[in-house]
Amino acid sequence: MKSEPRSGPHLVLLAVYALFVLAAGARSLVQIATRFSDAPLAYVLSLLAALTYAAGWFAIRRAAHGRPAFARGMLWVELGGVMVVGTLSLVKPDWFSDATVWSDYGQGYGWVPAILPIAGLFWLHRTHPRTRMDTESERA
Amino acid sequence: MSGALVPIAWIVVAYSLLVTVAAAVGLFLRAPRPRWLDQLAWMLEVLAFVLAVGALAALSDGRPHELSTHLGYVAAVVVIVPIAMLSVRDDRGPWSSGVVAVAALATGVVAVRIMMTR
Repeated sequence: MKSEPRSGPHLVLLAVYALFVLAAGARSLVQIATRFSDAPLAYVLSLLAALTYAAGWFAIRRAAHGRPAFARGMLWVELGGVMVVGTLSLVKPDWFSDATVWSDYGQGYGWVPAILPIAGLFWLHRTHPRTRMDTESERA
Repeated sequence: MSGALVPIAWIVVAYSLLVTVAAAVGLFLRAPRPRWLDQLAWMLEVLAFVLAVGALAALSDGRPHELSTHLGYVAAVVVIVPIAMLSVRDDRGPWSSGVVAVAALATGVVAVRIMMTR
């Protein structure tokens, strides 16, 4: 079902996602361009985070237009990325010569990277609750 | 010039917090976005522009340790508010105040980062 997006919490989510595309994208591109050999894994993961935020922005926008399927997957991928990279940065600090956007669950960004996908999933659950028909059509 | 940069940056930080709180209160009260909030946000943009000019002028006093990162923050501080205001230009609902709050807070954070990378 398609519908016109209304004013709502998704506006704030879109603003924060856009900020993180800018922040993570600029940070990773500068790091890759100027000192990639210092911490290649960390800088590639930061670039991956920036791409995830771009996809997250697109997913929230689609969901606001009444198409939540992409957001349902994308937000879980993003949350998984924050959890995996955040945990690895704590248990295997020697793997990361420099911090990534998701290191320590996004501590360098006020933990917003960990809160953002949870807020997105909460908004999605409130605005697009899953129905039995959704589940069956996704299985088909 | 770099001596004047820090006071200008702190003025931007303090003013951005004021705009953030004003916008957050509007959102909390579920009120349509008032015109005066737009004016507060555009005043923040003027201050951010002054900060950016000051940061560029301060380059003549010495090269920052991480020049590309510093210039990235200088560029970011002037584009955040206009992009946010453009994105909600046709929407005066309460949640559009939330967008203003996010943009104002981000501008304050970037102003701090400009001082840190100087």
